[in-house]
Amino acid sequence: MKSVSELTDFYYKVLYPTLGKLEKERKHLRYRIFLVGFAYTFVFFLGALALQNAFLFGLDFFAFLFVLYLGIGAFLYKLLIKDYTHAFKDAIIHPLITELDSRLSYVHLFHVAQHLFERSQLFQGRIDRMSGNDFVQGEIDGVKIEFSDLHAERRHKDSKGRESWSTVFRGLFIVADFNKTFHGKTIVLPDTAQKTFGNIIGGWLQSNNIGRDMLVKLDDIEFEKKFVVYGSDQIEARYILTHSLMQRILAFEKKTKHPVYISFVGHAIHIAIEYNKDLFEPTVFSSLLDYKTAMEYVQTLHLAIGIIEELKLNQKLWSKR
Amino acid sequence: MSASLIIFVVIALILVLMYNSLVSKKNQVENIFAGVDAVLKKRYDLIPNLVASVSKYMEHEKGILEEVTKLRADANKPNISDAQKMALDAKVTSALGSIMVAVENYPELKANENVMHLQHSLNEIEEQISAARRSYNQAVTDYNNAIEMIPTNFMAQAMKYQRKAVFEIDELQRQNINVKELFN
Repeated sequence: MKSVSELTDFYYKVLYPTLGKLEKERKHLRYRIFLVGFAYTFVFFLGALALQNAFLFGLDFFAFLFVLYLGIGAFLYKLLIKDYTHAFKDAIIHPLITELDSRLSYVHLFHVAQHLFERSQLFQGRIDRMSGNDFVQGEIDGVKIEFSDLHAERRHKDSKGRESWSTVFRGLFIVADFNKTFHGKTIVLPDTAQKTFGNIIGGWLQSNNIGRDMLVKLDDIEFEKKFVVYGSDQIEARYILTHSLMQRILAFEKKTKHPVYISFVGHAIHIAIEYNKDLFEPTVFSSLLDYKTAMEYVQTLHLAIGIIEELKLNQKLWSKR
Repeated sequence: MSASLIIFVVIALILVLMYNSLVSKKNQVENIFAGVDAVLKKRYDLIPNLVASVSKYMEHEKGILEEVTKLRADANKPNISDAQKMALDAKVTSALGSIMVAVENYPELKANENVMHLQHSLNEIEEQISAARRSYNQAVTDYNNAIEMIPTNFMAQAMKYQRKAVFEIDELQRQNINVKELFN
């Protein structure tokens, strides 16, 4: 696998002509967005004024109008940047992934299947809407891996029947083969209870978590501080989470700088990294040539594919060969 | 009247909860020890096969092979205590370790597919054993904590619960390698 610096080189050297073209398109698009935005706001405002003069509506109506204004605006914005986004994914993200490892395939408008997300049991409760994009799949050193951007939501209805949506998870979701055979499930979550309530009360809360399996207390102090582990089998959980894997997970968590959720269910490792935003999207109001922007694309991709080496998923034990 | 009744009920409830938590901790230790026992047994089952495959070549290490066989026979005896099982496990671990080191001196053995397979199986079982030992140590620590900490320690005394021993890491493994000695 290529290193981050090699990839950054690739981004700036090989992709430079395409980037230049896209950058021009971006500036053009930005101009168009301002133009359309002004025109739209003007027309909308005139229309609202005309309606107000004719019917003399109250304040409620203005609140409604404002929501409508935002809704149509967002729709227009998406429509305007659609072609640009498409071109960006085709010309930048796709080549980056192939450069990273030629055994990987990329599909822009596809995401990790919902049943895999539900199988991971990382986030409890039902999922009513699943969306995502930037699906990458492949087999590296005999390890099958797939990941994508994912946005899982739940629908709520209040007493008046009004509908609202809340986000269950938004970020990068990775599924890969695990190198050991196991039968139960082991779930590693960020340790929020112990952090908020301290060791004694937090620990008590964790051991009495009804929705989860048994609490597995591990013998790595640093790991215990960062994560809480639930499992259906105490011995199996420790068979999976060896001292070295715990250290590697800690290192991985430090590198991501975002909350990491990991579960081992059905011969696979599931990793959810909570970014709370759509990843691998082109910037519209800042330059594509910006170093920070470039590093974000490169590092996130490298992180996702790097888990095979990072967690040594390619070192299989005898029974899995 | 009703106040004293409430106090009595609350105290009884606390006592019941304490009793139950102690029993469940003790059972957890026993339960996990059964798991440890199962993986240890798996390793003992590999020993005859291993000894049969290497004994033809290993003339100088006859003593250690005999010792491993004897340890296995001891472990298979009925009615041995948990403490004895733990002591035997430590001895078997170090004996198997020295056999595996000795294998390195015999090129024919290193290339032997059967031995290679056994070596890999042993490695995997060692990982399982290590996981089982860690689980057991955690369960014992929880149990020992409950026995010694207030308020459950009074209850534990009344129930005559004793501290249990954890798996010790082998002295040899714990010692730092003395480089000077290596060259003497």
